Parts: sequence; structure tokens; C-alpha cells
Amino acid sequence: MKYLAHVCSIVPPHIVDALADSDDPEVREVGLRTRELDDQQRQQRLRAVPIEAPAVPPFVTDQPDRTVFDAGQSTDLPGNRTRGEQDTPTTDQAVNEAFDGLGSTFTFYYDVFQRRSIDGAGLPLDATVHYGQNFNNALWNGRQMVFGDGNRKTLQNFTASLDVIAHELTHGVTMYSGGLDYQGQSGALNESISDVFGSLAKQYTLRQTAEDADWLIGDGVLVSGINGVALRSMKAPGTAYDDPLMGKDPQPAVMADYVNTLRDSGGVHINSGIPNHAFYLVAMALGGYAWEKAGRIWYQTLTSGTLPSDADFPTFAQATTATAHTLYGPGTEEDAVRKAWGQVGVNGNG
Amino acid sequence: MHIRVTRSGGFAGLTLHAELETSGRPDAAELERLATDAVTAAEPESSPVVPDGFEYEITVDDHTAHCADPHLTDAQRQLFERLLHEGA
Repeated sequence: MKYLAHVCSIVPPHIVDALADSDDPEVREVGLRTRELDDQQRQQRLRAVPIEAPAVPPFVTDQPDRTVFDAGQSTDLPGNRTRGEQDTPTTDQAVNEAFDGLGSTFTFYYDVFQRRSIDGAGLPLDATVHYGQNFNNALWNGRQMVFGDGNRKTLQNFTASLDVIAHELTHGVTMYSGGLDYQGQSGALNESISDVFGSLAKQYTLRQTAEDADWLIGDGVLVSGINGVALRSMKAPGTAYDDPLMGKDPQPAVMADYVNTLRDSGGVHINSGIPNHAFYLVAMALGGYAWEKAGRIWYQTLTSGTLPSDADFPTFAQATTATAHTLYGPGTEEDAVRKAWGQVGVNGNG
Repeated sequence: MHIRVTRSGGFAGLTLHAELETSGRPDAAELERLATDAVTAAEPESSPVVPDGFEYEITVDDHTAHCADPHLTDAQRQLFERLLHEGA
């Protein structure tokens, strides 16, 4: 909650990003300075919290333990240690953005779900920026986050998007919750859960209701001039972009349009559109802040310890419906979940 | 030698293709060496990938094999960078 009063008082981060990415040097300067101020203010707020440095680090902390490394365009991991919790912001925007994104994601999970870091036990959060040359990706390698700088023809600024950072860290949450096999429908669920909590982290930080949220994933990473609004849309899967350099957004919203493919681990980034849209429908049906009920139902299902790692869509639909019943009893919430899965054509038998 | 590379996956889920014929190229010997090393070190079936990692399919003439992040050999990385014009 600490960040909220501050974050809400500034220009939304995506606007700042847009300014900072502008081709106009003066506009860009304004955007960059805004981000620097934002960073500094966050740091001051963090330091304002009285924390007694313990002689021995506690096993579980209420604060993130972040370290950002710089690969310097190499593919060596983790690279040079550039910023840790005790350090002031650096002159490298990507380092500071990654640092802040890790912090916002930690805060989201801690405030909303009382989860301390991705393993629930204060695991240090490590990230490497400037990985490779024109590396057009951000990924979770099982131990840390890895950010490229993008090819700058289609994608860039992975570190500037909180939904990207929260998406990657959520892969860690899923892994520590028992995992979802990264293949076929369980893999698409793994991807969808990262999109769901990536979007929720952004919504929480911006204090947006389900109605106000854009439900976009990666809206900050498209290079200016690309015909699109983001990489994925949970509200309207398949509509995020349509551009000669990127092709058309291939995501289905319903089972009737499920894409069978061997590539992309069986279309995990494609068919995630179906559970993504189901979550969106639940959030809209329940209204208000999506992390409070819809997010709680998904989180509880993920971390229950009973979700099989090879869960398919119907299994997950059944599990979320049962969780809604457990958390809120029969009625509105359970009905919303059951109805949403029905609307995307998944029969959860719930 | 005919070399074809398809990359899928990644955070964005964008698929990239590239292919070339080495005959007549000044860098044919180097490309053929990279492609041979890359495909030899790859797996016959799709190999497991870390979340949002890139997955690659390499076809050298009529032989197809697979590899994925983060377990790329230097030859695979170099081949992908040469064909796709992006970091691997």
C-alpha cells in the first residue's frame, strides 16, 4: 500500500514511457526526467520506512531483496551486479526500471495475497538487463529474469512494462506452486496465469477497477509505428496487433478457435487467449478491483497444491469454480466463474 | 546446402522464419559448418523450453531438429543470429 498514494499522483507509467520513447528529443527528455523523479521518490519512500538492519538476514522478510545485473549485450548470466537494495538509482534507465518493476510486483503479491516473494519465503529477486544483442525477448529461466533490449524494429523496452515483469515473476510463482507443464493446454494455462497476474499487478499499481483497466499485455513494448496496441488483449484476444512486421495477433478467445500447432510448445502463447478471456469475463461480472475476488479465486486455485501440473482447460475451469464456492459459498462468484468458462466454450462440469 | 530456421515462442509469441541456400555464397563454408554443428547438437523432437524462452526448428537439407532456450550451443546461437538477424 505504501506506493499507492504516490503512484496515483503521477502521470500513469505508460504515458511516461510513451514520452520517454518519443522521437522528439525534448519530449523524450521530459519523459526520462519524469521516470528519474519517480525512481528517486520511490527510493526516498522506501528509505523513509524505518528498517533496522538485522545482523543476520531474516528467513522471511516483508521487503524485496532485489539485485539487477547488466549483461552488457553479452549472453553471460547473470552479468555485472549493478544495483541492489542498498544502492541509489543508477544512470541506466533499464536497470532502474527493472528494479522498480521487481519492487512493484513484490508489493502487489505481498499486499494482495500476503505472499513474500515468488516462493512465498522471501526468495531474492534477480534480474539481468541488456542481455544479448537485439535480443527480442524477456524470459524467466527458472532462476532469474532475463531482459533483452529488443530488436527495436518491432519490440523494445521490456523493462519499462510492469505487466511484462510481473508476467515473468509469475512464472516463478507458478513454478513454486507445483508448476504447470509448459506444453499444450497446461502450458497455455501457465502463460495465462502469468498474463492474469501481470495485468493485475499493473491494475493494482494504477488502482484501476476491472472496468477501467485496459486488459492489455505488453502495451509498452511495441515500437512506435507498429500497427497495434499491445502483444495480447485479455478483453478481446486476437485484436492486439495486425502489422506487416509482426503479422496478426493469433489469439483465440473461445475453444472453437483453439489453435493446434507443434510450435510455441503447442501454442502456449496463442491458446492462452481462452483462459485469459475467461478471467476477464469473471472480473467484469464481479466488478470492482479484479484482484480482490477474481484474482483471489485464481491465486487460491494456483497455490492450493491440488492443481495437477498437467491440468487442461476443463480441469482448471472445474478447479476455479470449486475454489469460488469454497471462498464465497454458492452464489454470485461461483456462478460468474462457471458462466465465464461456458462463454469461452470450456466445459468444466462445475 | 539448404538451411531453414523457424523460431517460435518468446514472451511475444511471434514466429520468425528464415532460409537460405549456401551455394554461390562467399560465406558458404562457414554457414555450412555452423548449420552442421547446430543440427548435430539439436534434438529430434521438440525440446523443453523455459517459460517465454525461444524454441528453434532447424532444417538442413532434409534433416530437421530442435533446440530451445536456455540450452543453445555457440554454433546454434551464431546460426540463428546470422539467419534471423536478431540476438539468440
